[in-house]
Amino acid sequence: MRVAMSGPRSLERIEKLVKMLPSGIVQAPSSLGSMTWGPPLPLLSNAILVPRALPRKTLTMATALELAPRLTDASRRKVWDVHTAFDWPERLDPTAGWYMLPELVSIYGTDAWETLSETQRKRLSFYEIVNFFSFVLYGERPLVSGLMNRMYRKRTQGAITEYLHHFIDEENKHMIMFGEFCNRYAGKIYPEKKLVLPREYAKGEEEVAFFCKVLIVEELGDFYNLKMMTDRTIHPLVAKINKVHHIDEARHLGFGRQFLRELADEHAGNWNEDETKQFQDWLAQYLRSCWGDFYNPAAYKDAGLDGYATRKEAMAHPVCAEFRENASRKLVDYFLETRLLSEAPAL
Amino acid sequence: MDEKQLREALREWILERSSAPPAALSDDQQPILDEGLLSSLDVVEFILFIEDLRDEEVDIEAIEPEVFNNIDSLMTAFFPAAKKEAAA
Repeated sequence: MRVAMSGPRSLERIEKLVKMLPSGIVQAPSSLGSMTWGPPLPLLSNAILVPRALPRKTLTMATALELAPRLTDASRRKVWDVHTAFDWPERLDPTAGWYMLPELVSIYGTDAWETLSETQRKRLSFYEIVNFFSFVLYGERPLVSGLMNRMYRKRTQGAITEYLHHFIDEENKHMIMFGEFCNRYAGKIYPEKKLVLPREYAKGEEEVAFFCKVLIVEELGDFYNLKMMTDRTIHPLVAKINKVHHIDEARHLGFGRQFLRELADEHAGNWNEDETKQFQDWLAQYLRSCWGDFYNPAAYKDAGLDGYATRKEAMAHPVCAEFRENASRKLVDYFLETRLLSEAPAL
Repeated sequence: MDEKQLREALREWILERSSAPPAALSDDQQPILDEGLLSSLDVVEFILFIEDLRDEEVDIEAIEPEVFNNIDSLMTAFFPAAKKEAAA
């Protein structure tokens, strides 16, 4: 099945995903380079961020089945070894520099942020990067298990399963990388607090919901990766982890967006009004809940702040709400375009 | 907080979150999840609130969904010391 393009944003995405990534323009960096903070790096990955122009009238959207072999090829050419890709310093001093980019720290712009000294802000930025890596790790864990359960099925057999092997391999390496950072430098991974309660699903809803969860964790993660991967005010190890992650995730996002679009086309239109509302309410709430993970009382406590009060204040602050809406725009636009949401949720 | 205050804090949080009338939790055996007062995603937020009340993290791997059945089961699971004090 070929689907007509629906707008300039889709054109850009397809340019990125279909034309640019498999051509091997960006390679996973094999060495860390300078280990000191400094001025911003040149945008090594501009090739990813700024796709070359293509004649729009000739573009059609590739199906997941058409994308899969090209993504497999790209994964094979960009293969990297998580055990040799990083030089891990013995320890990191939480107050020696920036870890999470200051403007990405969850309370940035709030009164609480203004009252902190620079040393306190740096300490918080350290625990926030540990929290961010924990969030992605715990998002990728069920993703790997869910993808494994979907391999070698009728819908995924052949080229798609072949690509899923790479998808899972790369996600597994990401978890090793994030786990190593968190355990080595913070002595822990912040646990997730999600509790899965059984509920009834409409036909195909559980499948659509699974790939929505995948997309949410990857899109939110990638928003942060893109902001940090070339920045030299943050620790170079953190920048590199973000960069390595982004390079793989660009392929995963391309596949996931198209695969979910096809699932939505197949199932969501068959749901009745109540089922559609139930799904849309869940999706909006799930997205809000994921954002809640960025305001972790445990991380605030480790940074010397009042944990729960800081979370409540930051989540209710208009500056933070605006940040969440901006950071989610691409994701929400996609859900609106695919009709998985009927209106943008309050975040 | 003593046991009575803890029960009241839990009740208020659930009612505010669910926008349910007070009658929905007029006693501490009334079901929370079965009546749809909280969803699984509300529970995430609720756990953080409970952690703040008891000033200690909740080990999510050590609890079963049944602990969220009603306020009595919440007290037993998360505030056993407060229950013992009240009994003594």
